[in-house]
Amino acid sequence: MRLLWSQGVELSFRPGEFFGREEELTSLLRVCLEGKSGIGASVLIYGPPNIGKSSLLLKLKSELKLLPESEAPPSPFPFYYSFSNILSHPLALSQHFLQEYLWQLLVFLGESPPAAFDLDALCESLTARGHTECRDFLSAHRRYSEKGDGLSALANAFSFPFATGGNLLYPVFLFDDFQYTIKLQNIPEGAIFSILRPYIKSGHFPMIVSGSSPGHVTSSLKREGLYGSFQLLEVGGLSPDASVRAWAPLFDRRKIRMPEHLMVRAAARLGHVPIYQRMFAEEVSFRNAQIEDEVAFENLFALSITEGKLNRYWREFFENAIPDRVNRARAIKFLKRVMFDQFPIDTFEGAFSLLGTSPEEGGEILSALEFKGLLKSDFEHIQFIRDPVLSDFLFWAFERGVLGKNTSQVAASIVQAKISSGLVEGDRETHEESAEGAKEMMRRWDCREVPALLFDFGKFQERFREKGLLEIVIGLEEDARKVRLPKISSVSTGYRTLRGGSRFAFDLVAYGFRDGDFSEENLVIWAVDVNTEKTLTQSAVEHFENRCRLLSLEKGLNPDQLQKWILFDGAADPVIVELSDRYGIHLTHRTQMRFFLNLFGMQELEKGQEEKRPQETRAGEKPLEFELVLPIKADTEVVAARVAEEVAAYAALDKDTVDRIKMAIIEACINAFEHSESETGKVRLRYILSPERIELFVQDEGKGFRPSSAGDESKRNRGWGLKLIGELVDDVDITTGEQGTTVRMVKNLRHGTDEGSTTPDDEG
Amino acid sequence: MSDWTVKTREAGEGTSVVYVNGYLNSLLGKEMERVIHDVLDAGRPRVVLNFEGTRLINSIGISSIIGVVERMTERQGTLAFCSLNRINQELLRITGVSRYVRAFDSEEEALSYFEQSV
Repeated sequence: MRLLWSQGVELSFRPGEFFGREEELTSLLRVCLEGKSGIGASVLIYGPPNIGKSSLLLKLKSELKLLPESEAPPSPFPFYYSFSNILSHPLALSQHFLQEYLWQLLVFLGESPPAAFDLDALCESLTARGHTECRDFLSAHRRYSEKGDGLSALANAFSFPFATGGNLLYPVFLFDDFQYTIKLQNIPEGAIFSILRPYIKSGHFPMIVSGSSPGHVTSSLKREGLYGSFQLLEVGGLSPDASVRAWAPLFDRRKIRMPEHLMVRAAARLGHVPIYQRMFAEEVSFRNAQIEDEVAFENLFALSITEGKLNRYWREFFENAIPDRVNRARAIKFLKRVMFDQFPIDTFEGAFSLLGTSPEEGGEILSALEFKGLLKSDFEHIQFIRDPVLSDFLFWAFERGVLGKNTSQVAASIVQAKISSGLVEGDRETHEESAEGAKEMMRRWDCREVPALLFDFGKFQERFREKGLLEIVIGLEEDARKVRLPKISSVSTGYRTLRGGSRFAFDLVAYGFRDGDFSEENLVIWAVDVNTEKTLTQSAVEHFENRCRLLSLEKGLNPDQLQKWILFDGAADPVIVELSDRYGIHLTHRTQMRFFLNLFGMQELEKGQEEKRPQETRAGEKPLEFELVLPIKADTEVVAARVAEEVAAYAALDKDTVDRIKMAIIEACINAFEHSESETGKVRLRYILSPERIELFVQDEGKGFRPSSAGDESKRNRGWGLKLIGELVDDVDITTGEQGTTVRMVKNLRHGTDEGSTTPDDEG
Repeated sequence: MSDWTVKTREAGEGTSVVYVNGYLNSLLGKEMERVIHDVLDAGRPRVVLNFEGTRLINSIGISSIIGVVERMTERQGTLAFCSLNRINQELLRITGVSRYVRAFDSEEEALSYFEQSV
């Protein structure tokens, strides 16, 4: 492998995939050709890592080789040499440099590429071509190596090219990754420039030096008095045009298709950086992804930056750049604040204070970052590169490492931040109001059957357009198809689109279980958005669908386990209705929301009215009675509580009262489960609702128990059940005997519903 | 139940936030106690119990909370609650647990209380 060190970079370079940078190439070519007449300057190319500096050098090399031979000699011999993979020992470097130079020169002169780096054999081949100086240099080099004199060996090796060529050719040096020369063992920084100085000054030997750490290189140049001989050339992203063209060969080779308008967007999103484009193409091909629209693109981008190739690229970069974990975490946190949050930092003092380190420690971190080209400094100022991909990576690293969020969450926020910037913040109040209404409805629909038509706005509109309310209600009643809503166990509202905000920013997420079976397979999640814009836009639907996909991905849901639903207020284009249909999103218009309420005999909720709804049962009405039989099985008391909640919904009780009733019934059930030792394995519950009170009966058929004998409840800290029940309801009595135990609990509804129940805890 | 979980996050030097999600019954209660023991064993004496995701707490869950309070006292740790909903707050009041542990509306408040008292 060692033999291919430098060649590795060259072999991976594909001239066909090189795009743009025409201006840079033209001026570099001119510099190289001017070497012939002794007026050649030298160029320092700098820029962030992997922006394409090496590709530029290699492209220059291939252009130089393709020059027409009609020109009179001497002709330029482009010698590409990368310092990146060389051991830091000067003897190793000098040896390798000589090998590379001889090898490339022989190939340039038309020899078939020698199979190995046998220095003597290479030298013999060159001597055979009349370059006799080679032997002397080699024997001198051997002497220095034996003595261990690194500096002399280096001087020997780096002077050799200038003795070759004669009138036939002149070397053009394409030195890559030059920043590594400052890390040579026992060799002062800038020594290489000292050796090269006379040749640079002569103007006959053009030198293109490239590196990511221009601060160090320029200070070496200044020390050697060479600064004036060098032109500086900064390399950034490609021009938008060139980077869009760059997609073609990447996609063709991998047989990827992407709509044209997306190519522009994708190139911009990747900062017009060729290596990102290549990695993204690999990602698409690796995952066999279809990039048909913006959402699919953003999704894949987020995936790549959080767990795919782009992520690995930067992760490995940081692991290499700063091996120490603590310092790496510091650096990432620091860079995230500078690049992602755009914290304005341009001085060392500012950077140290943001890093929260001493100047020594901070200096080490900054120098590592500079070495890798993420920042550029002169004596006082520092400047950071701008890179949208790195910025998102830093966001991921920060959220993941510092805040402990999982990858899907971060991916979701990245996608959200990019896609959902269109949602209007000003409408928040109306939005919240609708979400609140929807939440309440979700609660009430629990376990009920709803005409399927209400979910399908397209068909609804087609069938009932411009008809009156009554007609539509009748129409719905005739509709035979029904959707059985899953049993909803929990409803939560999420808000909203800002980064780092709530998880998937749905307006409403409800979890339920089909057929009342609390198992993983029967879990159904409802994801609901309430759209209050004038029109339901394509981007809103796409954005919603996108979050749904992420949610499915995170929870590992089958398609039928996620119900997607948009409630909307304004108008919807037929195209949008069709799009939603394709995604399997239920659409429900606000006019339809009214029908839900009508169907359930409720009034539409107005803001703030929720807690003060008029009671629909009147004094003197016949009490409603409900019964439930529970198996004695862990956690089935939750079902009893849910039923209590439903029963309470008939009386439109406030939430605190409902919660108290639920807790009381849970405790009564647990008591029955624990103490009855019933042979039937069942507990019977009755709920009796009258305008004045709700009565709850929990009856088991066990051996009975004595509530006063608290000693029986010997488990540590136990025995709260009956105490809690006593506090939660207005009246409790327990009948126990050989036929079993019945706990009767009464909660009065007319008076005292608010006494004590809603006073917040005043504990200090 | 996959969504009944106890999760932990480190929130600075010696401080952990423990999230109890779901129905705090016997099973989840034991898990919560175990997690908190682990946190204490790892030398993290300050714990915020975040009940934001706790839908219900039954009496056995209350017993587990009391177990935690006892363990924290034994180990001279500091415990705070946060994000309790109304009914759960009420339950802790009725059972007297709230006399021993400070409850905060949000995790941030609880953490800044710890920061000030360090």
